[in-house]
Amino acid sequence: MREFDFAEPRSIEEASLLLAAHGDDARIIAGGSALMLAMRQRMLAPTCLISVAKLPRLHGIDFDPQKGLRIGAMSRHIDVARSELVKTHAPVLAQMASQVANPQVRNQGTIGGNLCYADPSTDPPGCLMALDASVVLGSTRGERVLSMEEFLVDYYTTAMELDEVLLEIRVPVQAPGTQGTYTRFLRTAAEHRPLVSVALVVQMEGQTCRQARLSVGASTPIPTRLRRAEDWLCGKAVNAELAAQVAGIVAEDIRPVSDLRGSSEFRREMVRTVTRRTVARLFGIDINEGVAA
Amino acid sequence: MSTHRIECQVNGESHSVEVASRRLLSDFLRDDLHLTGTKRGCETGTCGACSVLLDGEVIKSCLMLAVQAHGRSITTIEGLAAGEQLHPLQKNFMQCGGLQCGYCTPGFIMASCDLLKNTPQPSCEEVRHGLSGNLCRCTGYTQIVESVLHAAQEMHHGN
Repeated sequence: MREFDFAEPRSIEEASLLLAAHGDDARIIAGGSALMLAMRQRMLAPTCLISVAKLPRLHGIDFDPQKGLRIGAMSRHIDVARSELVKTHAPVLAQMASQVANPQVRNQGTIGGNLCYADPSTDPPGCLMALDASVVLGSTRGERVLSMEEFLVDYYTTAMELDEVLLEIRVPVQAPGTQGTYTRFLRTAAEHRPLVSVALVVQMEGQTCRQARLSVGASTPIPTRLRRAEDWLCGKAVNAELAAQVAGIVAEDIRPVSDLRGSSEFRREMVRTVTRRTVARLFGIDINEGVAA
Repeated sequence: MSTHRIECQVNGESHSVEVASRRLLSDFLRDDLHLTGTKRGCETGTCGACSVLLDGEVIKSCLMLAVQAHGRSITTIEGLAAGEQLHPLQKNFMQCGGLQCGYCTPGFIMASCDLLKNTPQPSCEEVRHGLSGNLCRCTGYTQIVESVLHAAQEMHHGN
C-alpha cells in the first residue's frame, strides 16, 4: 500500500475543506473495509485519507414519527441489523443488514461507506431504494437531500461532489400495513456478494397488494426499480400465478450485466426465480401452487 | 506521510505507540507488538486468518489501519487463555481436531468468541453462518463446527 496522510477532522466544514483542498488525491475513510481492499490491490492510491469517524452527526440511529428513521452514515451493518428502531420501523432493512458479507465485515463496514463506494454487487442500495430512502450530503455549501436513484449514478459512481460528505440516510415512515422482504442469491454459499438481489416493500390488505416498491440489485450497474412490475402487483390479490407474472415482467424489463460471476442470461433467469420466490414469501403463498415450475 | 501516536489496550495491556498512517492493524500486532498468533493470510479480507476482537467484536485486522484502533481495546488469540488454563474454544479445537495445519485456527477461534457471545447456544447452521468470514483449506469444516458446538456446551454448563 502506498504512503498517505491520515486526517481526522472534527467538523463537517473541516472535512469538506480538506476534501476540496486535496481533490482527487483524497478519499474518505469510514469503516475502511472496502477502501483497504481497493488500496491494497492498487485500484486506489490516495495520498490523503480523511476519516469521518469523529464527526458526531454521522453516528447514531433515531426515529421521528414524522420524518422516519435517521441512520448516521457511520452506523455499521451490525448496528443497523441490531437496532430496535430499525427492526420496528423498517424490519426489511435490519433483515438485509444481518446478511451483508460476513460477521467481520458487518462489525467493521458502515452503511454510509457502502453507499459511497457504490459497489454494484452489494446489498444495502437496492433495499434502501425499495424503502424510498434518501441520503443527506453535507459540505461547506450546506446540505442537500438526494433520493437513492439520484445519489447512485453508475458503477462505483455517485452524485457526490468532491467536497461532500454523506451524513445520514433517511428512511421515511412506512404506511400502515407495510411489509417488506429482501432476498439475496449467492452463486455459491462461500461467496459474500450476491449475484442477484430483490427487495420488495408492499402495503397489503389481506392478500391484496395496495402499493409496491420492487428493486433488483447486484444485476445492473446500480439497483433498478421495476415500476411496470410494481404497477402490475397493485390492486390485485396475490397468488402463485400473479407472483410468476410479476417475475416475468421483472425478467423482461431488467437489463442485467455480464461479468465474471454470471452472464446476462443467467442473471436474468435468476432475477426471475428470485423475484417469484420473494413475492411468494412476502404474501405467504406456496410457490408451486397451480403453476408449472 | 503522517505518523500518529495511538493508545490502545491489547489483551488487557496498555500500549502507546507511534505508527505510520499506512500501518495495518495486522502488521501493528505482529511486527510492532510481536503478537504473531494473528496470522496474515490472503491480506485481502477473504480468509479471516487475521481476525481479532475489537472492543469484543470480531474484525479482520488486515482491513483496518492501526490508527483506527486508537482508544480501542483489542483481543488476540494470545489473550484468550488464563495463564495455563486454555479457553474452552482452544481446548475443544484441540479435542475435536478442529484443525490440521493450524494456520487459520486463531482466526476461527476469534470469530467463534464473537459468535458465542451473541449466540451462546448456536445451532450447527448458526455456527456455519458465524464462521462464514473464515476459510480453512484443510479440515472441510465439520470438525471446526463440532469444536465450536462442544465449546458452547462446555461454556454453558460451566464444566
